[in-house]
Amino acid sequence: MSRSERAPLVTDAIPPALRRRGITQRQVFVTCLVVALLVALFASRDTPGWAERLGDTGLDHRLRDIAGAWDETMETLGLTAPHDRLRDAMQRALDWQWGADSR
Amino acid sequence: MLFPTLDFLLFFLVVAVAMALLDRHFRAKKAMLVGASYFFYAQWDWRFCFLLAASTTISYVAGLLIGQSHDPGKRRLILATGVALHLLILGIFKYLDFLVLSANQFAHLLGLQHELPFVEILLPVGISFFTFHGISYITDVYRGDVAVCRAPLDMALYMSFFPQLVAGPIVRAAYFLPQLARPSHDPIPIAAALLLIVGGMVKKVIIANYLATGLVDPVFAAPDNYGGSDLLLAIYAYAVQIYCDFSAYTDIAIAVAALCGFRFPRNFNQPYRALRLREFWQRWHISLSTWLRDYLYKPLGGNRHGRLNTYRNLMITMLLGGIWHGAAWKFVMWGALHGGGLAVERMCQPWLGQHPASPVGRIVSWLIVFHFVCFAWIFFRAEDFTVAAVFIARLGVGWGEPLQQAQPAMVGLIVIGMAGQFLPPGSFERAGLALQRVPYWGLGAATGLILAAINALGPEGIAPFIYFRF
Repeated sequence: MSRSERAPLVTDAIPPALRRRGITQRQVFVTCLVVALLVALFASRDTPGWAERLGDTGLDHRLRDIAGAWDETMETLGLTAPHDRLRDAMQRALDWQWGADSR
Repeated sequence: MLFPTLDFLLFFLVVAVAMALLDRHFRAKKAMLVGASYFFYAQWDWRFCFLLAASTTISYVAGLLIGQSHDPGKRRLILATGVALHLLILGIFKYLDFLVLSANQFAHLLGLQHELPFVEILLPVGISFFTFHGISYITDVYRGDVAVCRAPLDMALYMSFFPQLVAGPIVRAAYFLPQLARPSHDPIPIAAALLLIVGGMVKKVIIANYLATGLVDPVFAAPDNYGGSDLLLAIYAYAVQIYCDFSAYTDIAIAVAALCGFRFPRNFNQPYRALRLREFWQRWHISLSTWLRDYLYKPLGGNRHGRLNTYRNLMITMLLGGIWHGAAWKFVMWGALHGGGLAVERMCQPWLGQHPASPVGRIVSWLIVFHFVCFAWIFFRAEDFTVAAVFIARLGVGWGEPLQQAQPAMVGLIVIGMAGQFLPPGSFERAGLALQRVPYWGLGAATGLILAAINALGPEGIAPFIYFRF
């Protein structure tokens, strides 16, 4: 068997057409920062739970307080409303049973 | 540290800062990525890092020694020793207690009273994946398919790179090491990467997690409590769950690697649209199936020594592929079913042809292959043979009973998961090209909002990925 026959035939997961245009490593960081900021703003409901799962050091307790305060602030600003509405809608969809009134 | 968590987002933010700072210092960037990868791995258990380092050292030293030697016998000996050491580590950590259990069961059958003690070693996450990386590197160096890696840093990054470390895809040395030789000046395909991340999160957080908790887990826990229709839908649900779970992990891994400036191979290609079992394996976990083909099936002789030997080689390959997934007889059974199925399909190939021509033939072929794959999943998912047997026996009864677990939301998720299998080829590329017109910060903002929505729609907490345990 020749080497070329043995060489693995591997297809790139991202096709070459999608690799021709893109961004720099610094712009990747900016993008990640934007993602993190929006997640922090609109998914604050999960931060207290996340902080609860941290350890038991003084820093962890401080992080728990910050996470709780952050979620309360987001709630005051009304930014937790989309999260709560989506969660309620999903729960209704999950609770829907065959033969039950769908209204 | 799981991909769909705040922990990983924070971890990757730090990595992204470091990459931005080290953009023009390729060696330093690689060193940072090795450090980040070991930190990532240590989140499961820091002691596993020594195992990963040992596996890396074995591969590195074996590669150097094979490269230095011109004596074919000595090269073969080094190859055998390197592969044996990798398999020894895998055997001790993954299969020792399984062997002890099997020996004790066999002793009981023979009427012997003495039992061997269990070692009870904690299974290091991802050990099967980095063992396969190491074996493929040594073998490729021996075959001359890849140059000897003389830079310890490159070998360390190849073995430990965090996106693929714990659940693949299995990246070949010949594919990845050249990417470490010199910095790439290609732009980072942000649209494709974010599309993969969002798609992966939908598949894992919404489809896989809800199907697991709402249908698959309860039905497989007590199949005798359910009628045939619930059981059948639970099998379909598991087929969708395992695909969404595993392909989500590899999609996110591919995207994260791309954000770090590296290419990964494709690992899934709509496997449930396959019309032949062979085609299923060309579309499912491609990096494993090609690994097994190149490092096991072909060295065994492949299809070169007659039909009977081909069937034997298929069976051995799939049996070992089955046990690679886990140390249990149910995985052996799963592998045996696929090995037997592939052998029968090859046997019937003169009558079946390569591909069914008529629309009816294609539908019938699809139904047979899909249901065969689903049947094999019963053994893969069931706790043991007893549960699998009850499950199969109950499939034929209780069809008049109302559905208990398979409620509309679950059926909807199965339909959505299956619909993804039949999207026209090239859909991902077209969507990526359309998104390339959006500025990168706009893509970031949209991704942030969609991730927040996925977080709201998903269940509280994230179950580990199925393939972590392999």
